[in-house]
Amino acid sequence: MNTAKQNSRCSIPQTSTLNQTMVNVENLSLQMGDKHILQHVSFDLPAADITSLIGPSGAGKSSLLRCMNMLNTDWTGHIQVQHTDIRHWHGGADILRKHIGLIAQKPAVFPVSIADNVLFGLSRSQQKENTSALLQHCLQQSALWDEVKDRLDQPANTLSIGQQQRLCLARALALKPSVLLLDEPTASLDPRSKQLIELSLHELAQNIPILCVTHDLDQAQRLQGNILFMCDGKIIETADCDSLFNHPQKLETREFLRWSVCDCD
Amino acid sequence: MKYMLVLLAIPALLLPAACLIYIVYQALPALDVDLIFGSDAVVIGVNSVGQALWSQISGSLLMMSLACLLAMPMAASIALFHAFWASHKQKKLLTSILQVLQGIPPIVYGLCGLVVLVHLLHWGISLAAGAVILSIIILPLLASNTIHALERIPLEQTESALSLGLSKVSVITRVWMPQAWPSFLTGLLLSMARALSETAPILFTATVFSGITWPDSIFSPVTSLQTHIFYLAQEGSNEQAIHTAWASAVVLLTLVLIFSLTALYLRRYERIS
Repeated sequence: MNTAKQNSRCSIPQTSTLNQTMVNVENLSLQMGDKHILQHVSFDLPAADITSLIGPSGAGKSSLLRCMNMLNTDWTGHIQVQHTDIRHWHGGADILRKHIGLIAQKPAVFPVSIADNVLFGLSRSQQKENTSALLQHCLQQSALWDEVKDRLDQPANTLSIGQQQRLCLARALALKPSVLLLDEPTASLDPRSKQLIELSLHELAQNIPILCVTHDLDQAQRLQGNILFMCDGKIIETADCDSLFNHPQKLETREFLRWSVCDCD
Repeated sequence: MKYMLVLLAIPALLLPAACLIYIVYQALPALDVDLIFGSDAVVIGVNSVGQALWSQISGSLLMMSLACLLAMPMAASIALFHAFWASHKQKKLLTSILQVLQGIPPIVYGLCGLVVLVHLLHWGISLAAGAVILSIIILPLLASNTIHALERIPLEQTESALSLGLSKVSVITRVWMPQAWPSFLTGLLLSMARALSETAPILFTATVFSGITWPDSIFSPVTSLQTHIFYLAQEGSNEQAIHTAWASAVVLLTLVLIFSLTALYLRRYERIS
Protein backbone atom coordinates (compact mmCIF):
# COMPACT_ATOMS: atom_id res chain seq x y z
CA MET A 1 0.00 0.00 0.00
CA ASN A 2 1.42 3.31 -1.05
CA THR A 3 1.44 5.73 1.91
CA ALA A 4 1.83 8.82 -0.23
CA LYS A 5 -1.19 7.75 -2.23
CA GLN A 6 -3.11 7.23 0.98
CA ASN A 7 -2.20 10.68 2.23
CA SER A 8 -3.60 12.25 -0.86
CA ARG A 9 -6.89 10.47 -0.49
CA CYS A 10 -7.64 10.62 3.21
CA SER A 11 -9.19 13.74 4.46
CA ILE A 12 -9.38 15.30 7.87
CA PRO A 13 -12.35 13.78 9.73
CA GLN A 14 -15.46 15.81 9.23
CA THR A 15 -16.92 17.74 12.09
CA SER A 16 -19.98 15.53 11.85
CA THR A 17 -18.01 12.75 13.51
CA LEU A 18 -18.23 14.83 16.65
CA ASN A 19 -22.01 14.79 16.47
CA GLN A 20 -24.04 12.95 19.02
CA THR A 21 -24.23 9.17 18.86
CA MET A 22 -26.98 7.65 16.74
CA VAL A 23 -26.05 3.99 17.15
CA ASN A 24 -24.36 2.47 20.14
CA VAL A 25 -23.13 -1.12 20.02
CA GLU A 26 -21.86 -2.49 23.29
CA ASN A 27 -20.33 -5.83 24.11
CA LEU A 28 -21.99 -7.53 21.15
CA SER A 29 -21.23 -11.25 20.87
CA LEU A 30 -22.56 -13.85 18.51
CA GLN A 31 -21.93 -17.57 18.58
CA MET A 32 -23.04 -20.09 15.97
CA GLY A 33 -22.51 -23.63 17.15
CA ASP A 34 -19.02 -23.72 18.59
CA LYS A 35 -17.82 -20.81 16.50
CA HIS A 36 -17.54 -17.31 17.94
CA ILE A 37 -18.60 -15.03 15.10
CA LEU A 38 -18.52 -11.78 17.09
CA GLN A 39 -16.70 -11.25 20.37
CA HIS A 40 -17.46 -8.29 22.63
CA VAL A 41 -17.81 -5.81 19.79
CA SER A 42 -18.35 -2.21 20.91
CA PHE A 43 -18.49 0.98 18.85
CA ASP A 44 -20.59 4.06 18.23
CA LEU A 45 -21.90 5.58 15.02
CA PRO A 46 -22.25 9.35 14.92
CA ALA A 47 -25.52 10.96 13.85
CA ALA A 48 -24.24 11.67 10.35
CA ASP A 49 -21.13 10.34 8.68
CA ILE A 50 -19.75 7.35 6.87
CA THR A 51 -18.05 4.64 8.85
CA SER A 52 -16.26 1.99 6.84
CA LEU A 53 -15.97 -1.48 8.27
CA ILE A 54 -12.91 -3.25 6.92
CA GLY A 55 -11.34 -6.59 7.65
CA PRO A 56 -10.49 -9.95 6.09
CA SER A 57 -13.09 -12.43 4.91
CA GLY A 58 -14.74 -14.24 7.80
CA ALA A 59 -14.05 -11.42 10.24
CA GLY A 60 -17.77 -11.16 11.08
CA LYS A 61 -18.50 -7.90 9.24
CA SER A 62 -21.67 -9.09 7.49
CA SER A 63 -22.84 -10.86 10.65
CA LEU A 64 -22.47 -7.60 12.52
CA LEU A 65 -24.76 -5.83 10.05
CA ARG A 66 -27.30 -8.65 10.26
CA CYS A 67 -27.33 -8.35 14.04
CA MET A 68 -27.85 -4.60 13.81
CA ASN A 69 -31.09 -4.92 11.87
CA MET A 70 -32.23 -8.08 13.68
CA LEU A 71 -31.96 -10.43 10.74
CA ASN A 72 -29.83 -12.33 13.19
CA THR A 73 -31.29 -12.42 16.68
CA ASP A 74 -29.08 -14.88 18.55
CA TRP A 75 -26.61 -12.27 19.76
CA THR A 76 -25.90 -11.06 23.27
CA GLY A 77 -24.98 -7.54 24.34
CA HIS A 78 -26.66 -4.23 23.59
CA ILE A 79 -27.43 -2.38 20.40
CA GLN A 80 -29.07 1.00 20.81
CA VAL A 81 -30.45 3.16 18.04
CA GLN A 82 -31.45 6.66 19.11
CA HIS A 83 -30.93 5.52 22.72
CA THR A 84 -33.48 2.71 22.35
CA ASP A 85 -32.47 -0.91 22.73
CA ILE A 86 -33.37 -2.55 19.41
CA ARG A 87 -34.62 -5.66 21.20
CA HIS A 88 -37.34 -3.49 22.74
CA TRP A 89 -38.06 -1.43 19.65
CA HIS A 90 -41.64 -0.16 19.56
CA GLY A 91 -43.49 -2.30 17.01
CA GLY A 92 -40.88 -5.04 16.91
CA ALA A 93 -38.18 -6.06 14.46
CA ASP A 94 -40.24 -5.35 11.32
CA ILE A 95 -40.65 -1.68 12.27
CA LEU A 96 -37.00 -1.48 13.35
CA ARG A 97 -35.88 -2.64 9.92
CA LYS A 98 -37.72 0.27 8.31
CA HIS A 99 -35.45 2.55 10.37
CA ILE A 100 -32.28 0.60 9.66
CA GLY A 101 -31.84 0.13 5.94
CA LEU A 102 -29.65 -2.80 4.92
CA ILE A 103 -28.30 -3.18 1.42
CA ALA A 104 -26.77 -6.52 0.59
CA GLN A 105 -23.74 -7.28 -1.54
CA LYS A 106 -25.79 -8.96 -4.27
CA PRO A 107 -28.59 -6.73 -5.55
CA ALA A 108 -31.97 -8.43 -5.18
CA VAL A 109 -34.72 -6.77 -7.17
CA PHE A 110 -38.26 -8.08 -7.04
CA PRO A 111 -39.97 -9.25 -10.26
CA VAL A 112 -42.04 -6.07 -10.55
CA SER A 113 -41.49 -2.72 -12.25
CA ILE A 114 -38.70 -0.29 -11.41
CA ALA A 115 -41.17 2.07 -9.75
CA ASP A 116 -42.82 -0.71 -7.74
CA ASN A 117 -39.42 -1.88 -6.57
CA VAL A 118 -38.61 1.54 -5.14
CA LEU A 119 -41.95 1.64 -3.32
CA PHE A 120 -41.87 -2.03 -2.28
CA GLY A 121 -41.21 -1.38 1.41
CA LEU A 122 -44.00 1.15 1.82
CA SER A 123 -47.30 0.12 3.36
CA ARG A 124 -50.32 -0.28 1.08
CA SER A 125 -51.82 3.00 2.33
CA GLN A 126 -48.52 4.81 1.65
CA GLN A 127 -48.39 3.32 -1.84
CA LYS A 128 -51.88 4.63 -2.60
CA GLU A 129 -50.75 8.21 -1.94
CA ASN A 130 -49.07 10.28 -4.62
CA THR A 131 -45.64 8.73 -4.65
CA SER A 132 -44.16 10.26 -7.81
CA ALA A 133 -42.21 12.93 -5.88
CA LEU A 134 -40.83 10.35 -3.46
CA LEU A 135 -39.97 8.05 -6.36
CA GLN A 136 -38.05 10.78 -8.16
CA HIS A 137 -36.30 11.94 -4.99
CA CYS A 138 -35.10 8.45 -4.04
CA LEU A 139 -33.93 7.64 -7.56
CA GLN A 140 -32.08 10.95 -7.71
CA GLN A 141 -30.45 10.28 -4.36
CA SER A 142 -29.20 6.95 -5.68
CA ALA A 143 -28.03 8.54 -8.97
CA LEU A 144 -30.41 6.43 -11.05
CA TRP A 145 -33.13 8.89 -12.02
CA ASP A 146 -31.61 10.04 -15.31
CA GLU A 147 -31.18 6.47 -16.48
CA VAL A 148 -34.66 5.18 -15.67
CA LYS A 149 -37.00 8.18 -15.67
CA ASP A 150 -38.46 7.19 -19.04
CA ARG A 151 -38.97 3.52 -18.23
CA LEU A 152 -40.24 3.35 -14.68
CA ASP A 153 -42.89 0.80 -15.66
CA GLN A 154 -40.39 -1.64 -17.11
CA PRO A 155 -39.37 -4.75 -15.15
CA ALA A 156 -36.54 -4.09 -12.74
CA ASN A 157 -34.61 -7.14 -13.88
CA THR A 158 -33.97 -5.43 -17.23
CA LEU A 159 -31.51 -3.12 -15.44
CA SER A 160 -27.79 -3.84 -15.29
CA ILE A 161 -26.33 -5.18 -12.03
CA GLY A 162 -24.92 -1.76 -11.19
CA GLN A 163 -28.29 -0.13 -11.82
CA GLN A 164 -30.02 -2.83 -9.79
CA GLN A 165 -27.75 -2.09 -6.84
CA ARG A 166 -28.59 1.62 -7.08
CA LEU A 167 -32.26 0.63 -7.28
CA CYS A 168 -31.81 -1.30 -4.01
CA LEU A 169 -30.32 1.84 -2.50
CA ALA A 170 -33.30 3.89 -3.71
CA ARG A 171 -35.67 1.26 -2.29
CA ALA A 172 -34.03 1.49 1.12
CA LEU A 173 -34.07 5.31 0.99
CA ALA A 174 -37.81 5.37 0.21
CA LEU A 175 -38.38 4.28 3.81
CA LYS A 176 -36.40 7.30 5.08
CA PRO A 177 -34.13 5.21 7.30
CA SER A 178 -32.38 6.61 10.35
CA VAL A 179 -29.32 4.46 9.69
CA LEU A 180 -28.01 2.88 6.51
CA LEU A 181 -26.01 -0.35 6.56
CA LEU A 182 -24.27 -1.48 3.39
CA ASP A 183 -22.65 -4.86 2.91
CA GLU A 184 -20.03 -4.45 0.19
CA PRO A 185 -22.46 -2.52 -2.00
CA THR A 186 -20.05 -2.07 -4.89
CA ALA A 187 -18.45 -5.51 -4.98
CA SER A 188 -18.48 -6.79 -8.56
CA LEU A 189 -19.79 -3.51 -9.95
CA ASP A 190 -18.28 -1.63 -12.85
CA PRO A 191 -16.14 1.45 -12.00
CA ARG A 192 -18.83 3.92 -13.11
CA SER A 193 -21.55 2.33 -10.94
CA LYS A 194 -19.06 2.19 -8.09
CA GLN A 195 -18.30 5.88 -8.46
CA LEU A 196 -21.99 6.82 -8.64
CA ILE A 197 -22.82 4.84 -5.50
CA GLU A 198 -19.91 6.40 -3.62
CA LEU A 199 -21.09 9.87 -4.64
CA SER A 200 -24.59 9.04 -3.41
CA LEU A 201 -23.21 7.80 -0.11
CA HIS A 202 -21.28 11.02 0.40
CA GLU A 203 -24.48 13.01 -0.14
CA LEU A 204 -26.50 10.78 2.16
CA ALA A 205 -23.87 10.81 4.89
CA GLN A 206 -24.56 14.48 5.47
CA ASN A 207 -27.87 13.53 7.06
CA ILE A 208 -27.71 9.95 8.29
CA PRO A 209 -25.08 7.60 9.67
CA ILE A 210 -23.81 5.04 7.18
CA LEU A 211 -21.95 1.89 8.07
CA CYS A 212 -20.36 0.43 4.97
CA VAL A 213 -18.62 -2.94 4.87
CA THR A 214 -15.93 -2.98 2.23
CA HIS A 215 -13.04 -5.16 1.18
CA ASP A 216 -11.73 -2.43 -1.02
CA LEU A 217 -9.26 -0.36 1.03
CA ASP A 218 -9.08 2.29 -1.69
CA GLN A 219 -12.81 2.68 -1.44
CA ALA A 220 -12.63 2.99 2.35
CA GLN A 221 -10.23 5.89 1.82
CA ARG A 222 -12.43 7.48 -0.80
CA LEU A 223 -15.44 7.24 1.51
CA GLN A 224 -13.41 9.03 4.25
CA GLY A 225 -15.09 9.25 7.66
CA ASN A 226 -14.21 6.72 10.32
CA ILE A 227 -12.79 3.26 9.93
CA LEU A 228 -13.50 0.18 12.01
CA PHE A 229 -11.02 -2.62 11.51
CA MET A 230 -12.39 -6.05 12.41
CA CYS A 231 -10.64 -9.38 12.56
CA ASP A 232 -11.80 -12.73 13.89
CA GLY A 233 -15.01 -11.29 15.30
CA LYS A 234 -13.28 -8.50 17.24
CA ILE A 235 -12.85 -4.79 16.65
CA ILE A 236 -9.08 -4.41 16.47
CA GLU A 237 -8.79 -0.69 15.83
CA THR A 238 -11.06 2.29 15.38
CA ALA A 239 -9.82 5.57 14.01
CA ASP A 240 -10.51 8.25 11.46
CA CYS A 241 -9.47 7.51 7.92
CA ASP A 242 -6.21 9.51 8.09
CA SER A 243 -4.98 8.02 11.32
CA LEU A 244 -5.82 4.43 10.52
CA PHE A 245 -4.27 4.36 7.08
CA ASN A 246 -1.24 6.51 7.87
CA HIS A 247 -0.54 5.71 11.52
CA PRO A 248 -2.10 2.37 12.38
CA GLN A 249 -1.59 1.64 16.05
CA LYS A 250 -2.02 -2.13 16.11
CA LEU A 251 0.26 -4.71 14.55
CA GLU A 252 -2.74 -6.57 13.09
CA THR A 253 -3.93 -3.40 11.35
CA ARG A 254 -0.49 -2.78 9.89
CA GLU A 255 -0.36 -6.38 8.64
CA PHE A 256 -3.79 -6.12 7.09
CA LEU A 257 -3.08 -2.80 5.39
CA ARG A 258 0.17 -4.11 4.00
CA TRP A 259 -0.70 -7.68 3.02
CA SER A 260 -4.50 -7.84 3.33
CA VAL A 261 -4.17 -10.65 5.84
CA CYS A 262 -4.70 -10.69 9.56
CA ASP A 263 -3.59 -13.18 12.16
CA CYS A 264 -5.14 -12.14 15.43
CA ASP A 265 -5.53 -15.56 17.13
CA MET B 1 -21.61 -47.76 -25.42
CA LYS B 2 -24.05 -45.17 -26.75
CA TYR B 3 -26.00 -47.77 -28.77
CA MET B 4 -26.12 -50.13 -25.81
CA LEU B 5 -27.66 -47.40 -23.65
CA VAL B 6 -30.17 -46.60 -26.38
CA LEU B 7 -31.09 -50.28 -26.68
CA LEU B 8 -31.63 -50.45 -22.93
CA ALA B 9 -33.71 -47.29 -22.97
CA ILE B 10 -36.00 -48.36 -25.82
CA PRO B 11 -38.05 -50.89 -23.77
CA ALA B 12 -38.62 -48.22 -21.13
CA LEU B 13 -40.34 -46.11 -23.77
CA LEU B 14 -41.94 -48.86 -25.81
CA LEU B 15 -43.50 -50.87 -22.99
CA PRO B 16 -45.68 -48.07 -21.58
CA ALA B 17 -46.64 -47.09 -25.14
CA ALA B 18 -47.56 -50.70 -25.93
CA CYS B 19 -49.61 -50.92 -22.73
CA LEU B 20 -51.42 -47.72 -23.62
CA ILE B 21 -52.23 -48.95 -27.13
CA TYR B 22 -53.43 -52.30 -25.77
CA ILE B 23 -55.67 -50.62 -23.18
CA VAL B 24 -57.27 -48.37 -25.81
CA TYR B 25 -57.67 -51.35 -28.21
CA GLN B 26 -59.44 -53.40 -25.53
CA ALA B 27 -61.59 -50.45 -24.52
CA LEU B 28 -62.76 -49.57 -28.04
CA PRO B 29 -65.92 -51.73 -28.03
CA ALA B 30 -67.17 -49.95 -24.90
CA LEU B 31 -65.94 -46.42 -25.61
CA ASP B 32 -68.87 -44.15 -26.42
CA VAL B 33 -70.73 -41.22 -24.88
CA ASP B 34 -73.14 -43.59 -23.15
CA LEU B 35 -70.22 -44.97 -21.21
CA ILE B 36 -70.08 -41.76 -19.22
CA PHE B 37 -73.51 -40.19 -19.46
CA GLY B 38 -75.64 -43.24 -20.28
CA SER B 39 -78.25 -44.92 -18.15
CA ASP B 40 -77.02 -46.52 -14.98
CA ALA B 41 -79.76 -49.13 -15.24
CA VAL B 42 -77.72 -51.47 -17.40
CA VAL B 43 -76.48 -54.22 -15.16
CA ILE B 44 -73.26 -56.03 -15.83
CA GLY B 45 -72.30 -59.26 -14.15
CA VAL B 46 -73.36 -60.76 -10.84
CA ASN B 47 -72.38 -57.69 -8.83
CA SER B 48 -74.94 -55.49 -10.59
CA VAL B 49 -72.32 -52.91 -11.41
CA GLY B 50 -73.79 -50.02 -13.36
CA GLN B 51 -72.40 -49.28 -16.81
CA ALA B 52 -72.42 -45.46 -16.84
CA LEU B 53 -69.31 -43.99 -15.29
CA TRP B 54 -70.52 -40.50 -14.43
CA SER B 55 -71.09 -41.23 -10.73
CA GLN B 56 -67.74 -43.04 -10.49
CA ILE B 57 -65.92 -40.12 -12.15
CA SER B 58 -67.63 -37.56 -9.93
CA GLY B 59 -66.97 -39.73 -6.85
CA SER B 60 -63.26 -39.96 -7.70
CA LEU B 61 -62.99 -36.24 -8.38
CA LEU B 62 -64.90 -35.41 -5.21
CA MET B 63 -62.67 -37.57 -3.04
CA MET B 64 -59.55 -36.22 -4.77
CA SER B 65 -60.67 -32.62 -4.28
CA LEU B 66 -61.47 -33.14 -0.61
CA ALA B 67 -58.12 -34.87 -0.08
CA CYS B 68 -56.30 -31.95 -1.69
CA LEU B 69 -58.28 -29.42 0.33
CA LEU B 70 -57.26 -31.23 3.50
CA ALA B 71 -53.63 -31.70 2.47
CA MET B 72 -53.00 -28.17 1.14
CA PRO B 73 -53.03 -26.23 4.43
CA MET B 74 -50.98 -28.97 6.10
CA ALA B 75 -48.42 -28.97 3.29
CA ALA B 76 -48.25 -25.15 3.30
CA SER B 77 -47.73 -25.14 7.08
CA ILE B 78 -44.94 -27.72 6.83
CA ALA B 79 -43.24 -25.74 4.04
CA LEU B 80 -43.53 -22.42 5.91
CA PHE B 81 -42.18 -23.98 9.12
CA HIS B 82 -39.32 -25.41 7.04
CA ALA B 83 -38.62 -22.02 5.43
CA PHE B 84 -38.94 -19.68 8.41
CA TRP B 85 -38.47 -21.44 11.70
CA ALA B 86 -36.82 -24.83 11.34
CA SER B 87 -33.18 -25.16 12.35
CA HIS B 88 -30.76 -26.92 10.03
CA LYS B 89 -31.19 -30.19 11.96
CA GLN B 90 -34.98 -29.87 11.94
CA LYS B 91 -34.93 -29.25 8.19
CA LYS B 92 -32.92 -32.42 7.58
CA LEU B 93 -35.20 -34.41 9.88
CA LEU B 94 -38.33 -33.04 8.21
CA THR B 95 -37.02 -33.86 4.73
CA SER B 96 -36.12 -37.40 5.83
CA ILE B 97 -39.55 -37.94 7.39
CA LEU B 98 -41.28 -36.78 4.21
CA GLN B 99 -39.13 -39.14 2.13
CA VAL B 100 -39.92 -42.07 4.43
CA LEU B 101 -43.64 -41.26 4.36
CA GLN B 102 -43.60 -41.24 0.56
CA GLY B 103 -42.16 -44.74 0.61
CA ILE B 104 -44.90 -46.30 2.75
CA PRO B 105 -47.19 -48.54 0.65
CA PRO B 106 -50.67 -46.99 0.31
CA ILE B 107 -52.35 -50.22 1.44
CA VAL B 108 -50.78 -49.68 4.87
CA TYR B 109 -52.43 -46.27 5.07
CA GLY B 110 -55.67 -47.93 4.00
CA LEU B 111 -55.36 -50.48 6.77
CA CYS B 112 -54.75 -47.71 9.33
CA GLY B 113 -57.77 -45.85 7.96
CA LEU B 114 -59.91 -48.97 8.29
CA VAL B 115 -58.90 -49.53 11.90
CA VAL B 116 -58.85 -45.92 13.13
CA LEU B 117 -61.36 -43.99 11.02
CA VAL B 118 -63.85 -46.66 9.96
CA HIS B 119 -63.98 -48.77 13.13
CA LEU B 120 -62.48 -46.80 16.03
CA LEU B 121 -64.02 -43.42 15.21
CA HIS B 122 -67.16 -45.07 13.75
CA TRP B 123 -67.00 -43.03 10.53
CA GLY B 124 -67.88 -46.17 8.60
CA ILE B 125 -67.00 -46.72 4.96
CA SER B 126 -67.27 -43.09 3.94
CA LEU B 127 -66.15 -40.24 1.74
CA ALA B 128 -64.58 -38.59 4.81
CA ALA B 129 -62.48 -41.65 5.66
CA GLY B 130 -61.30 -41.99 2.04
CA ALA B 131 -60.49 -38.28 1.72
CA VAL B 132 -58.53 -38.22 4.99
CA ILE B 133 -56.51 -41.29 4.01
CA LEU B 134 -55.82 -39.91 0.53
CA SER B 135 -54.80 -36.56 2.00
CA ILE B 136 -52.28 -38.33 4.26
CA ILE B 137 -50.93 -40.24 1.24
CA ILE B 138 -50.45 -37.12 -0.91
CA LEU B 139 -49.25 -34.90 1.96
CA PRO B 140 -45.53 -35.85 1.70
CA LEU B 141 -45.53 -35.26 -2.06
CA LEU B 142 -47.36 -31.95 -1.78
CA ALA B 143 -45.24 -30.77 1.18
CA SER B 144 -41.97 -31.68 -0.60
CA ASN B 145 -43.07 -29.84 -3.72
CA THR B 146 -44.05 -26.77 -1.71
CA ILE B 147 -40.72 -26.82 0.14
CA HIS B 148 -38.86 -27.03 -3.18
CA ALA B 149 -41.02 -24.25 -4.63
CA LEU B 150 -40.05 -21.94 -1.76
CA GLU B 151 -36.41 -22.99 -1.87
CA ARG B 152 -36.19 -21.90 -5.50
CA ILE B 153 -36.87 -18.29 -4.49
CA PRO B 154 -33.49 -16.57 -4.07
CA LEU B 155 -32.59 -16.09 -0.41
CA GLU B 156 -31.45 -12.56 -1.25
CA GLN B 157 -34.99 -11.58 -2.18
CA THR B 158 -36.41 -12.89 1.08
CA GLU B 159 -33.74 -11.11 3.10
CA SER B 160 -34.18 -7.90 1.10
CA ALA B 161 -37.91 -7.99 1.77
CA LEU B 162 -37.32 -8.58 5.49
CA SER B 163 -34.74 -5.79 5.50
CA LEU B 164 -37.41 -3.45 4.15
CA GLY B 165 -39.46 -4.16 7.26
CA LEU B 166 -41.96 -6.47 5.62
CA SER B 167 -43.61 -8.88 8.03
CA LYS B 168 -43.35 -12.61 7.43
CA VAL B 169 -46.95 -12.62 6.16
CA SER B 170 -46.11 -9.84 3.68
CA VAL B 171 -43.01 -11.72 2.53
CA ILE B 172 -45.19 -14.77 1.88
CA THR B 173 -47.93 -12.87 0.03
CA ARG B 174 -45.83 -10.29 -1.83
CA VAL B 175 -42.56 -12.08 -2.54
CA TRP B 176 -43.05 -15.82 -2.26
CA MET B 177 -46.55 -16.43 -3.62
CA PRO B 178 -46.14 -14.46 -6.87
CA GLN B 179 -43.02 -16.46 -7.65
CA ALA B 180 -43.85 -19.85 -6.17
CA TRP B 181 -47.38 -20.33 -7.52
CA PRO B 182 -46.43 -22.22 -10.70
CA SER B 183 -44.32 -24.68 -8.70
CA PHE B 184 -47.00 -24.98 -6.03
CA LEU B 185 -49.71 -25.56 -8.63
CA THR B 186 -47.52 -28.14 -10.39
CA GLY B 187 -47.12 -30.00 -7.10
CA LEU B 188 -50.83 -29.77 -6.45
CA LEU B 189 -51.72 -31.19 -9.87
CA LEU B 190 -49.24 -34.04 -9.46
CA SER B 191 -50.75 -34.75 -6.04
CA MET B 192 -54.21 -34.74 -7.61
CA ALA B 193 -53.02 -37.24 -10.20
CA ARG B 194 -51.58 -39.37 -7.40
CA ALA B 195 -54.83 -39.21 -5.40
CA LEU B 196 -56.78 -40.14 -8.50
CA SER B 197 -54.65 -43.19 -9.18
CA GLU B 198 -54.73 -44.65 -5.65
CA THR B 199 -57.05 -47.63 -5.32
CA ALA B 200 -55.99 -49.82 -2.41
CA PRO B 201 -56.47 -47.33 0.44
CA ILE B 202 -59.98 -46.34 -0.60
CA LEU B 203 -61.04 -49.87 -1.40
CA PHE B 204 -61.93 -50.61 2.20
CA THR B 205 -62.36 -47.12 3.64
CA ALA B 206 -64.55 -45.19 1.20
CA THR B 207 -66.05 -47.06 -1.74
CA VAL B 208 -68.84 -49.53 -2.38
CA PHE B 209 -69.77 -51.69 -5.37
CA SER B 210 -72.82 -49.82 -6.55
CA GLY B 211 -76.11 -48.23 -5.53
CA ILE B 212 -74.53 -44.83 -4.90
CA THR B 213 -74.63 -42.04 -7.45
CA TRP B 214 -73.73 -39.15 -5.14
CA PRO B 215 -73.00 -39.41 -1.40
CA ASP B 216 -75.69 -37.98 0.93
CA SER B 217 -73.07 -36.66 3.34
CA ILE B 218 -69.34 -36.89 3.93
CA PHE B 219 -70.05 -39.93 6.10
CA SER B 220 -71.73 -41.79 3.24
CA PRO B 221 -69.84 -44.19 0.98
CA VAL B 222 -68.96 -43.22 -2.59
CA THR B 223 -68.23 -45.01 -5.82
CA SER B 224 -64.96 -44.32 -7.56
CA LEU B 225 -63.46 -45.02 -10.96
CA GLN B 226 -60.45 -46.85 -9.53
CA THR B 227 -62.43 -49.33 -7.48
CA HIS B 228 -65.01 -49.64 -10.27
CA ILE B 229 -62.28 -51.05 -12.53
CA PHE B 230 -61.33 -53.48 -9.76
CA TYR B 231 -64.91 -54.74 -9.39
CA LEU B 232 -65.43 -55.03 -13.16
CA ALA B 233 -62.18 -56.93 -13.56
CA GLN B 234 -63.53 -59.57 -11.16
CA GLU B 235 -66.26 -60.31 -13.72
CA GLY B 236 -63.74 -62.36 -15.68
CA SER B 237 -66.25 -64.31 -17.75
CA ASN B 238 -68.38 -61.35 -18.73
CA GLU B 239 -67.00 -59.85 -21.93
CA GLN B 240 -69.03 -56.64 -21.62
CA ALA B 241 -67.75 -56.10 -18.08
CA ILE B 242 -64.16 -56.56 -19.19
CA HIS B 243 -64.53 -54.10 -22.07
CA THR B 244 -66.15 -51.60 -19.68
CA ALA B 245 -63.23 -52.12 -17.29
CA TRP B 246 -60.79 -51.27 -20.07
CA ALA B 247 -62.88 -48.26 -21.05
CA SER B 248 -62.95 -47.12 -17.42
CA ALA B 249 -59.19 -47.46 -17.37
CA VAL B 250 -58.96 -45.20 -20.42
CA VAL B 251 -61.15 -42.59 -18.70
CA LEU B 252 -59.02 -42.79 -15.55
CA LEU B 253 -55.82 -42.53 -17.55
CA THR B 254 -57.21 -39.51 -19.38
CA LEU B 255 -58.04 -37.78 -16.11
CA VAL B 256 -54.60 -38.53 -14.65
CA LEU B 257 -52.94 -37.37 -17.88
CA ILE B 258 -54.90 -34.10 -17.85
CA PHE B 259 -53.50 -33.28 -14.40
CA SER B 260 -49.99 -34.48 -15.22
CA LEU B 261 -49.77 -32.68 -18.56
CA THR B 262 -51.15 -29.46 -17.05
CA ALA B 263 -48.43 -29.77 -14.40
CA LEU B 264 -45.87 -30.24 -17.15
CA TYR B 265 -47.19 -27.16 -18.97
CA LEU B 266 -46.94 -25.07 -15.78
CA ARG B 267 -43.25 -25.98 -15.48
CA ARG B 268 -42.70 -23.43 -18.29
CA TYR B 269 -43.76 -20.67 -15.93
CA GLU B 270 -41.42 -22.01 -13.24
CA ARG B 271 -38.51 -21.56 -15.62
CA ILE B 272 -39.72 -18.14 -16.77
CA SER B 273 -40.20 -16.82 -13.25
